Amino acid sequence: MIMKKSVLLIALLFSAGLLKAQTAKTDSATSTDSLMKMLNVPQKGEPVIATFKATRLILSQTTETVKKNELNFLVIHRFGDIGGSNGGGKTLWGLDNSSDIYIGFEYGLIDNLNIDFGRSKFEQLLELGLKYNILHQKTDDSMPVAVTLIGKTGFKPYHVNTTVFDYYANRFSYLAQAVFARKFSRALSLQVSPMYLINNVPYPFIAGNEKNIFALSAAGRLKFSKRMGLVLDYVHPFSSFRNNSINPKFYNGLGVGIEIETGGHVFTINFSNAQAISEFNYINDTESSWGKGQFRLGFTISRIFDFNRKHKSNY
Amino acid sequence: MKYIAVILLAWFTVNQAGKGIYVCKNAAVSLYSKAPIEDIDARSDIGTSVLNIANGDVAFSVPIRSFKFDKALMQEHFNENYLESDKYPQASFKGKLTEKPDLTRNGTYPVTATGVFEVHGVKQNRSITGKLMVANGAISLTSEFMVACKDHRIEIPTLVFQNIAENIKIKVTAAYIPYK
Repeated sequence: MIMKKSVLLIALLFSAGLLKAQTAKTDSATSTDSLMKMLNVPQKGEPVIATFKATRLILSQTTETVKKNELNFLVIHRFGDIGGSNGGGKTLWGLDNSSDIYIGFEYGLIDNLNIDFGRSKFEQLLELGLKYNILHQKTDDSMPVAVTLIGKTGFKPYHVNTTVFDYYANRFSYLAQAVFARKFSRALSLQVSPMYLINNVPYPFIAGNEKNIFALSAAGRLKFSKRMGLVLDYVHPFSSFRNNSINPKFYNGLGVGIEIETGGHVFTINFSNAQAISEFNYINDTESSWGKGQFRLGFTISRIFDFNRKHKSNY
Repeated sequence: MKYIAVILLAWFTVNQAGKGIYVCKNAAVSLYSKAPIEDIDARSDIGTSVLNIANGDVAFSVPIRSFKFDKALMQEHFNENYLESDKYPQASFKGKLTEKPDLTRNGTYPVTATGVFEVHGVKQNRSITGKLMVANGAISLTSEFMVACKDHRIEIPTLVFQNIAENIKIKVTAAYIPYK
């Protein structure tokens, strides 16, 4: 009996020692790891960044806004028709002409709210607007898309084609737009955007033309390297007048291009049939067709200037 | 009775392993590099660390997304183009202290930790020096070391080369609390 007891005791002691050794071993190997795991609670639902590299694609504005106290300076250019009756060798495939030039400034009032101003060559259009990134896509998909609202006013200050526009109130147009974008992967981002355009007087001023137009645009970017991507941009105005008009004939804007980021600059080099750069012009009045060679080379240069005061470096 | 005593004894000795562990949930990690056009300077205050005095284990981790830059665009490029924080969300170090300073006495002790340093998904064996400070029972650790971008496959494209230094200085400060 005593023998049995002591054997049991020894066995117990031994197993306890073994247990200790084992625990100690696993302790040194994993307790630091498990503690670190415990401390590093994964941050859930962070906003997705860099859905697009810039505030513009080809025709469309993206959901991106410039951040607080940053100024985005935009130069957008469209050359003349590459083919068709206005293109060809005599205009160096459109390079002699500029169908539109846009100079724009976008300033971040706060991180998600921009005030935008720009001027187009096309109809000497001036525009002023606000852009608000109201919802951010989240990494855990608790919010699957980013949503940005855009509202702007367009004004054509000089003489335009008809005398109707002599009356100043007739030269105003308004645009309300919502942009829904999703970054599907590191490479692929897509967006759709319903737009409502209000013209005080139909533009172009032709009998039967609508004052108000609803349009839908779809655009996307597919990166093929860290800093370069393919961009596709399409806009469809829902306008029976535009569908039925024979002279002039209207077309939907379609652009395809390459986007290149170099640090502070984002460049887009593109081809599009739309002559104009601003929504006020290309939704209303795209009269050139890819099929007839009436597409053009274009580029967008976007440069960010930062006016944030630097904090003092601790080095 | 004897059994219980033995079991208790064994249990106590097992539990002894839990002593001497310190943790930090708000370690400051900053990175700095001087370049001809613009300096890069960012900081995170939510680094985590574990220090085990008993066996010399030391571990650090910091979420890449938590680094704050003065320039929002620089922060975006840091995450999107250089560190690819969606693929590699953490930078970490896990190693062992070579020295075993006596932490019951106040003072500053130079220490060296040897282990694995991981940034951008690339693991490097590193020996990193630092200082362990004890002031009336409060333990803190600071360290400054360099990280070469090319060691961690952080590509600097030729177009923006002059903007970015090839070596980044990292500074880490952790104030520990005992883990219970």
